[in-house]
Amino acid sequence: MHLIEVKDVVKQYGSGRTLVEALHKTNFTLDKGEFNAIIGPSGSGKTTLLTILGLLQTPSSGEIYVGGKDVTKLSAKKKTDLRFNKFGFILQASNLIPFLTVKEQFKLVDKFTPSHRETMNQADLLKMLDLTDVATNYPSNLSGGERQRAAIARALYNNPDVILADEPTASLDSERANQVVSLLAKIAHEYHRGVIMITHDTRLLTLTDRVFVMRDGTLTEQKEE
Amino acid sequence: MFLAIKEILHNKTRYFLVVFTVFLISYMVFFLTSLAVGLARGNRTAVDQWNAESVVVSSYSNKSLTVSNIPESSYKDYESKDVVPVGQMTVVTKLKGSDKKINTNIFGVNWNSFISPKLTAGRMPKNGKEVIADSKLGNDNIKLNSEIKINGSKDLYKVVGLTEDNSFFTVPIIFTNMNTFRTLKYGSDQAKNISALVIRDKTKIKKSGLSQITIPDLINHIPGYTAQIMVFAFMIGAMIVITFLIIGVFMYIITIQKISLYGVMRAQGIRTARIVAALFYQIMILTALGAGLALVAIAATQLGLPKTVPFYSNWPAYGLLTLAIMVMALLGGTLSMRKVLKIDPLSAIEGG
Repeated sequence: MHLIEVKDVVKQYGSGRTLVEALHKTNFTLDKGEFNAIIGPSGSGKTTLLTILGLLQTPSSGEIYVGGKDVTKLSAKKKTDLRFNKFGFILQASNLIPFLTVKEQFKLVDKFTPSHRETMNQADLLKMLDLTDVATNYPSNLSGGERQRAAIARALYNNPDVILADEPTASLDSERANQVVSLLAKIAHEYHRGVIMITHDTRLLTLTDRVFVMRDGTLTEQKEE
Repeated sequence: MFLAIKEILHNKTRYFLVVFTVFLISYMVFFLTSLAVGLARGNRTAVDQWNAESVVVSSYSNKSLTVSNIPESSYKDYESKDVVPVGQMTVVTKLKGSDKKINTNIFGVNWNSFISPKLTAGRMPKNGKEVIADSKLGNDNIKLNSEIKINGSKDLYKVVGLTEDNSFFTVPIIFTNMNTFRTLKYGSDQAKNISALVIRDKTKIKKSGLSQITIPDLINHIPGYTAQIMVFAFMIGAMIVITFLIIGVFMYIITIQKISLYGVMRAQGIRTARIVAALFYQIMILTALGAGLALVAIAATQLGLPKTVPFYSNWPAYGLLTLAIMVMALLGGTLSMRKVLKIDPLSAIEGG
């Protein structure tokens, strides 16, 4: 059983003569402990696929399975809850709430998490991401790298099964970018989560397990030669 | 609540402006209410003190005590412990040795009747030259043992007792006995006319030339009373509706600025209901703060205001108005709620 399975998913916008197929028939899987990358130029449909994977929009046809369960037809509310419980988003724009300190971002998750669910140990998480010293800072008082790591911490905190990272290294220098990627790899391999990273930077692919290329709405797996 | 409070604390200036606006509106609402209540009371406190059921006035008077005049033949059969005569007359009073003219009312009463004023100082009069004055006349230096002239009379009347909250038609009252009232109004105490009969039980009086009206009816027919109350009611109502608009617009602007943030929260799986709850908690906190500060300010105002201003604090009314303001503010929040409900979590990614 795959953690995520995308089966024959198509995404079209508009209708009639203005119909655009942003995503042609796509198949994709992600397993536990796997770190997959999707690369491709901007406008190729990477983000469309990510939003469908993250249950942010519904495909025009095809199915999505999360943990073996078909979630394509779930209500918006159920999808919202599923996102909260199973997914961790690391977005290009910061996904931190500007009026909460790093610690309070976790507290917000605590407030909305059912009590029987376990969250990650805050201190460990902060230590792993080297954020201990800035835990009481507001996002506006963090450096670009710290902010990105805090966003990762926030995404990991509620123990998601799947991490979706949209250009997580966009605003970082290459040293910081490498740190972030190796962190994502560690999350996948040591903590047995599924991680999908969207990027256009091919230098960052050394640690990934599988690489998919998106071109003009068609996804193909890049086989190692 | 957590989100609401954290955000307010982080953006203090922005939310302070909202609180300040609510404060100003609430303060004005409370202030206008106090003036309205003060003025209304000034018109009627003397009548309220009667604790009566109804009055009988002459039919032609159009329910106005100031115009009513009843001859002895019409009322003498009805007088009893619970049905007593009152004489009303609008006069100008002067303090002995002063040239200042002071508008006052004369209420002629029988000292042993139930509408006789309650003393707060001094004693009851012993003869026709002794009177009881409302304590508000103290603002014009008419105090215990002052000697006064009424409508340019040669005689001096001595204030031997004080009473309080006794005004009619916003003018303070000097109580005299019936004969002194008759002398002042009709030139002789042989004219046994009165202005009205005040009735405190269920007695019904039917006689041609007389009409019996309830106390609220009497008060509403005090000339100008209803108009004053309406003016204030509309002003207060308008202010409360303005609260709805101001809070609505303020929160709408703040909400629009946060749309992308809400998109991120939605993408992270935070339910819309939580975001909407935070919005309404914020409105509640901000209006409660604003209205609370306004209540403190109104209490301070009351201490500092000159006694001549007809200002009367009515705390139950403030409570109701605070509630009305909060309800209006929350209604204002519904303008933004529509926006929040329509937030698409996709915007978090595509906007980035």
